[in-house]
Amino acid sequence: MPVVELAGVTKAYENKVAVSNLSLSIEAGQIFGLLGPNGAGKTSSIRMMMGITMPDSGQVSLFDKPFERPSLERVGYLPEERGLYKKMKVLDQLVFFGCLHGLSAEEAGHRAVAWAKRMEIADALQKKTEELSKGMQQKIQFIATLLHTPGLIVMDEPFAGLDPVNAVLVERTLLELKDQGRAILFSTHRMEQVEKLCDSICLINNGEAVLAGNLRQIKAGYERNHVIVEFEGSSSFLLSEEIAEAKNFSGHAEIKLKPHGNAQKLLREAAAMATIYRFELVEPSLEEIFIETVGGKTNA
Amino acid sequence: MRNIILIAKREYLEQIHGRAFKYSTVLVPLLIVALLGWSSMTNRKAVSGKHLAIAADNADMAEQVRRQMLDDKDAHFTVDVTAPASEQDRDALRQKVQSKAIDGLLAISTSSSGETMATYTSLSSGGFTDTRSMENALNRGVANERLVAKGINQAEADATLKLVPVETLQLGKDGKTGKTKGASPFYKVVMMMLLLSMPIMLYGLDMARAIIEEKTSRIFEVMLSVARPDDLLAGKLIGVGAVGLTQIAIWVVAATLFMGSALAASLLTGNFDLHFSWMEGLLFPVYFILGFALFSAIFSGFAATCETSQDLQKFMPVAIIPLYLSMGLLPVLLNDPNSAWSVAATLCPLTSPYVMLPRMGLETVPLWQLAVSIGLLILSIWATLWFSSRLYRVGILMYGKRATLPEIVRWLRYS
Repeated sequence: MPVVELAGVTKAYENKVAVSNLSLSIEAGQIFGLLGPNGAGKTSSIRMMMGITMPDSGQVSLFDKPFERPSLERVGYLPEERGLYKKMKVLDQLVFFGCLHGLSAEEAGHRAVAWAKRMEIADALQKKTEELSKGMQQKIQFIATLLHTPGLIVMDEPFAGLDPVNAVLVERTLLELKDQGRAILFSTHRMEQVEKLCDSICLINNGEAVLAGNLRQIKAGYERNHVIVEFEGSSSFLLSEEIAEAKNFSGHAEIKLKPHGNAQKLLREAAAMATIYRFELVEPSLEEIFIETVGGKTNA
Repeated sequence: MRNIILIAKREYLEQIHGRAFKYSTVLVPLLIVALLGWSSMTNRKAVSGKHLAIAADNADMAEQVRRQMLDDKDAHFTVDVTAPASEQDRDALRQKVQSKAIDGLLAISTSSSGETMATYTSLSSGGFTDTRSMENALNRGVANERLVAKGINQAEADATLKLVPVETLQLGKDGKTGKTKGASPFYKVVMMMLLLSMPIMLYGLDMARAIIEEKTSRIFEVMLSVARPDDLLAGKLIGVGAVGLTQIAIWVVAATLFMGSALAASLLTGNFDLHFSWMEGLLFPVYFILGFALFSAIFSGFAATCETSQDLQKFMPVAIIPLYLSMGLLPVLLNDPNSAWSVAATLCPLTSPYVMLPRMGLETVPLWQLAVSIGLLILSIWATLWFSSRLYRVGILMYGKRATLPEIVRWLRYS
């Protein structure tokens, strides 16, 4: 049973088509990545899921029912830019958002304290939002999204403003939520996080889905013509005729082979010139797939 | 409904705990008391203690005028008499005025045809109250002298010319009459207009600024995922309106306590002897709520089209012009509260929140006019909310630039 489903959804503003005939569905216990360049239509798609705007055509379903506002009480939404009241105390703010999602003030308060401890910001509960750093505010917004135990979690750039330690904390939390059977949609430009977390993706460009499906299957559809080499010594093997493109990060090289390039021949050349610690033939990264798919086609 | 209450409660609590609310709640009454005290003091000073000289050809007439001037207990004149006065005497007295040894010179002369003329010379243009007191004293003094000259004894002359004070009474709908004193209706009207216009304007603009802030901080993006735009707007209106009512309630309680104090007794006398009827007390919050709702609804729509508070400035005339018009109508209102202009201003929804109560302080407004005024206000609020909520629904999600008029028209069509 899909938790959220968009079926042939289209939305236009004046003469600009923001989303065109977009279809996607997210199951419970799945992390779904909504990707695309700036202005591709990601935010417009999310707004339609959240009932902030209505589609011109097509249908949005939540929890296996055509969209209706009461369903939103089971949805948690974290927008791209922080939407918090600056002058309000953090705890009051969390209780307010919890109550808007149907919790009692008491229950919202208990949950806010528990989540604040879990996200390591319990000290901030009595502070005003404006007194906190961007990363702290992002964690507050993250808690506000999850306080009412939503079945569907929609997050637009959830890692914005977070340092690596807090990013890992959020990643772990998302994986735990997934294990609990929540459906999670997140929109981001950080491809390494999508690769780590997402089960499925939908890449949209100019309002249309250009690539969608299970992430592993999508990547498996691409030829293993990328090589990661970790080495010590001369890097002159990067001039090999087998290589189409290479990036050298002092001892770590990311190589794209020419069509029909011979990886074994490249390994022999590299071993002759340097000490090789790692030589791995891999699929293209999601970032490369992204650039290859939308490169030169964006309106942004 | 639950969301509306939650949003209203949040808005209310945030504003109540804000510094702006605390400061304005304390400072506005202090400012009014200070103004009242200053007006009362300057008013008293203006009619007291002037040192005048009378220069006249006829000594009896000069003495009669002096007696009348000293009889005016409010004026507290000190009067010297030079009579009969030569041209040199008059020049010397003018020099005294020039050197500020005396405040003014009242020169009385009688022509060969028997016509009495008077001039008053001072360094200022002469206060309105002083000039009237002096004119009264002069005319009574001259008449007194003429009667005595015709052989009527002083006591009879005084009895003949004794002033009859006119007491002004206002007849209420219940048939009961209330006294009005001097300029007190003027002060009452001004105070009513200030007390209504300030909160309506301040809280209306406050609401607009809050909308712009929430739009630019993207809070709407989160709020709209749990509440309808109309609920958001309604919650805000109720919350901010309740803040205004709370402030007015605090002021009313403070004013009631103040009225019982010794300071109030010394300030609220004469022209400042102000009384308010229960009907005025009942309608004050009604007109505040309706006025606030109308102007807030107008500003909510405008605010949704703005990106910054500066953008809102271009819409300011919509708020300011009705207020200026209402203030401009004050003389008309005071002169004839039942004139066509006065009635029109109390029926027009943009001015009635400011004008109706001041007018009620001057006369008994017919019930039908009250009903039409309130009915038109409610209709206008409904119509304004219809437009504003449409602008609001689209505008709060439009970021990046200020909306142009054609865009606003398109937004109205979208929603």
